[in-house]
Amino acid sequence: MDDKRSRFEAQVLPHLDAAYRLARWLCRSPGDADDVAQEAFLRAFRAFDSLRGADARAWLLAIVRNCHLSALAAGRRRALEPLGEEHESEARAAATAPLPDPERDTMERDERRALERLIAALPAEHREVLLLRELEDLSYREIATVTAVPIGTVMSRLARARATLKLNWLEASRGEPRAVR
Amino acid sequence: MQCAEHLAVQAAFDGELDAVAQAGVERHAELCPECRALRASLERTRAALRRDLDYGQASPELRARIARVLDAEVAREAEAASRSLRPAARWPRPFWLGTASGLGAAALAATLLFVLLVPLRSASLPDELVTAHLAALRPAHLTEVVSTDRHTVKPWFAGHADVSPVVADFAEQGYTLLGGRADYLEHQRAAVVVYRHGAHLINVFAFAPGAQSLPAATTRRGYHISCWQAADLGYCMVSDAGWDEMQGLTRLLEDLAARDAR
Repeated sequence: MDDKRSRFEAQVLPHLDAAYRLARWLCRSPGDADDVAQEAFLRAFRAFDSLRGADARAWLLAIVRNCHLSALAAGRRRALEPLGEEHESEARAAATAPLPDPERDTMERDERRALERLIAALPAEHREVLLLRELEDLSYREIATVTAVPIGTVMSRLARARATLKLNWLEASRGEPRAVR
Repeated sequence: MQCAEHLAVQAAFDGELDAVAQAGVERHAELCPECRALRASLERTRAALRRDLDYGQASPELRARIARVLDAEVAREAEAASRSLRPAARWPRPFWLGTASGLGAAALAATLLFVLLVPLRSASLPDELVTAHLAALRPAHLTEVVSTDRHTVKPWFAGHADVSPVVADFAEQGYTLLGGRADYLEHQRAAVVVYRHGAHLINVFAFAPGAQSLPAATTRRGYHISCWQAADLGYCMVSDAGWDEMQGLTRLLEDLAARDAR
């Protein structure tokens, strides 16, 4: 039993920061991100025997993503919102909208916040692919594993995410075109 | 308008191509100002993201919380293990008790697997198939093993996909074997066998079908999809060839699978 714990700590725990970052980008608040990361580690530990030599980081990140999706679904159920196809996109838009935080608005000009906002405004399935590629440096195949879509879909989502980001960045920084053009 | 090579330029930028394909993209970019601009923009985007975005690290509190959760889980597992040993010492358990708890554990494991492995499905199987088919049509993405010899293609799948489908060259009947590749489908590494019929390419996906039944013949974005089951494998064929041509190859593959099974 202790052996399982130490193997887990050696193989999976080193990816805690990556798991937290993905959770942070998927969730609306840092608190939610901590909850999702914690739940993901518990699920990962329970399912650890099924890992068997596969890429531990991609495996863990896939679990983080699934935890986030079930938390989202549970939250929606709790709020007694009517479920349905047309609400799906609304819920997704709400989940990805820029954080409504008045203090942040005063820092509107801050380039960093501006970029974060642009990323947050991307559709969730584009954003996750972009971040896994650019910030976590995952290969297409690993991203396909994490997001459970074919590699072709990874490629087209990545291209669309990058094109949208560039376009919106140009729009937002028309006076000051510095970073992305 | 976007240059048709934009996905290849992106793949080269992301380090996903082998040296030969990489050189091909470089040559193309020398001639194509649009792709040069795309590459420059990809570089700038990446630089900006890596410079300005950082959601940092897990806090020490989170680290501690996870350690506590794992401690509790280890203790729970240890207690569950010792509890399952104890009653045996006191009196012999009726045999069916073992069966029942085994069933319970199996059900629990199945539920856990379901929770872990089945995220909200965003795309239906037909859509996934057509997307994978289209992605494969781009130059140099169709096949990972190029061969008209089934004795080369079939063994290749052993190391690259989760299933081993029937493979044969039917050039005499008009269906030339081009090769194979692995592709993700239904969360597993499906084996894809590629055939050419006249000007049409045909992708045949093979995978272990889950609880979900295979979709009926359908058309998405102008591409036909037909599926069948042979032995314990699900096969799905995607092509812009006509239904009759696809039916012809389906029959050949079904016969082959039937002969293999004998």
